Amino acid sequence: MVSVAISEAEPSSAADWPPLPSRAALAWRDLVDGFGKSWMWAALAFQDIKLRYRGSVLGPFWLTISTLVMVAAMGLIYGRLFRVDTANYLPYLALGLIVWQAFSGMITEGCETFLREQSVIQQVPIPFSIHAYRNVCRNFIVLAHNLVIVPIGLILFAIPVNWHTLEIIPGFLLIAINGLWISILLGLISARFRDVPPIVASFLQVVFFVTPIFWPVEMLGDWQAIATLNPLFAAIDVVRAPLLGAATAANSWVVLLIMTVLGCGVTFAVFARFRTRIAYWI
Amino acid sequence: MTASLCLRDVSVEFPIYSGGSRSLKKLLFHSTTQGNLARDASDRITVLALSGITLDIKHGDRLAIIGANGAGKSTLLKVLAGIYAPTGGRMHASGRVSALLTASVGLNPDATGRENIIIRGMYMDVHPRDMRAHVDEIADFTELGSFIDMPVRTYSSGMMVRLCFAVATSLRPEILLMDEWLAAGDAAFLHKARRRMEDFVAGTSILVLASHAMPLLEEWCNRAILLDQGRIVASGGVKEIATIYQAQHA
Repeated sequence: MVSVAISEAEPSSAADWPPLPSRAALAWRDLVDGFGKSWMWAALAFQDIKLRYRGSVLGPFWLTISTLVMVAAMGLIYGRLFRVDTANYLPYLALGLIVWQAFSGMITEGCETFLREQSVIQQVPIPFSIHAYRNVCRNFIVLAHNLVIVPIGLILFAIPVNWHTLEIIPGFLLIAINGLWISILLGLISARFRDVPPIVASFLQVVFFVTPIFWPVEMLGDWQAIATLNPLFAAIDVVRAPLLGAATAANSWVVLLIMTVLGCGVTFAVFARFRTRIAYWI
Repeated sequence: MTASLCLRDVSVEFPIYSGGSRSLKKLLFHSTTQGNLARDASDRITVLALSGITLDIKHGDRLAIIGANGAGKSTLLKVLAGIYAPTGGRMHASGRVSALLTASVGLNPDATGRENIIIRGMYMDVHPRDMRAHVDEIADFTELGSFIDMPVRTYSSGMMVRLCFAVATSLRPEILLMDEWLAAGDAAFLHKARRRMEDFVAGTSILVLASHAMPLLEEWCNRAILLDQGRIVASGGVKEIATIYQAQHA
């Protein structure tokens, strides 16, 4: 809320007013204020989930079941195709799919960050970043429901749990930060250019097949480097490898960190420049 | 601090995107193709919706915005609400603003009336915990009965108006901005709304109301501005301005 004391009666000229904060300062304030309203975006995200599964008995656990079905079906077929051991392949596939679903969810729904909240943005001045935090939060709620599978898998496949398992905490944190800038950046671009969401959707489909999600990265042989430079693989790897009791690929953390820093930098610049235009675009 | 809204030489220029300018593909490739595509990609037309608006609205003011359709009334309300950042000039607002601009007010059609009260409260920066105290009072006022637990998509437009109005006026903002949509309520509701509004406005706040209904404006407002093509062409008492407006449009 902008609040400045204005002297009474005599309408002062705008020249006497304190200078406007810079765009960057305003954008930063938007991000900080938005984050501070965690009760708001968390409650809205839960409300989204509640509405999405209203009337279904199992609620969001339908997603868990559909993930399980997909893992079972793909595990059977692709395990044969790739001639890999099922006990190794199933957990690998399951974790790959779970993280992928969360990440691609944030990307596709990120295109809608501001568009779907059109009526709100046109009515009430709340920090724009709230819509992005809400998007990330909603996808993490879905992810949490899917993660119920993990402890079952850990026991079933007797995967060792040790200090390395804790690596998933910074892993998830980085995924959340990346989800945030993606939601803001794609949300902004999609508000201005309406052909972006379908472009992103078809692009994601390609990404799903070229990223080592359901196929073991070792199968690429000499070409492994290409796959490990893929930031999406890095994002999956930093969560999947520790949960499988394996070491992360050599450059996963580096690739993911670079993507985080670059993405945040570019997004902040774009957000600062175009933030006030969002209401005009949608 | 008392509530106030101050505008200095505010202008709003609207981009109108049509055809190609909405497409990223065309924007990216227009430099490599020639002729009509290039024009397509940059066919951005801007409309000057407001220009040179200088206005001080102070504590106790009840301002009527009068003007023909397309004069910039709604745009001005959105600037006052902090939704549109002015493209030129400066604005300062102090005080909690609540804007009732369209009937849908960000209602979620799949959520129930009760849930929407909570959601709407959140957008007005009220924690669900605090909003729950208001829910029953709001439900009572709207006379929605058991509809309050039905999804909002089953509501008639009059019911939506009642819900939005009740929520927005339950929270005692210091500044209330209203567009003329209130007319969508039925006569009995309008009567009730008026009483609630009177209580509400009496609570030393600012009211800005845009409408074509002169009797309503004369009753509720104590000053008026006349907008024409995005400029303030006259300001003064409500009766005086209403007369000028009616003379122009007779």
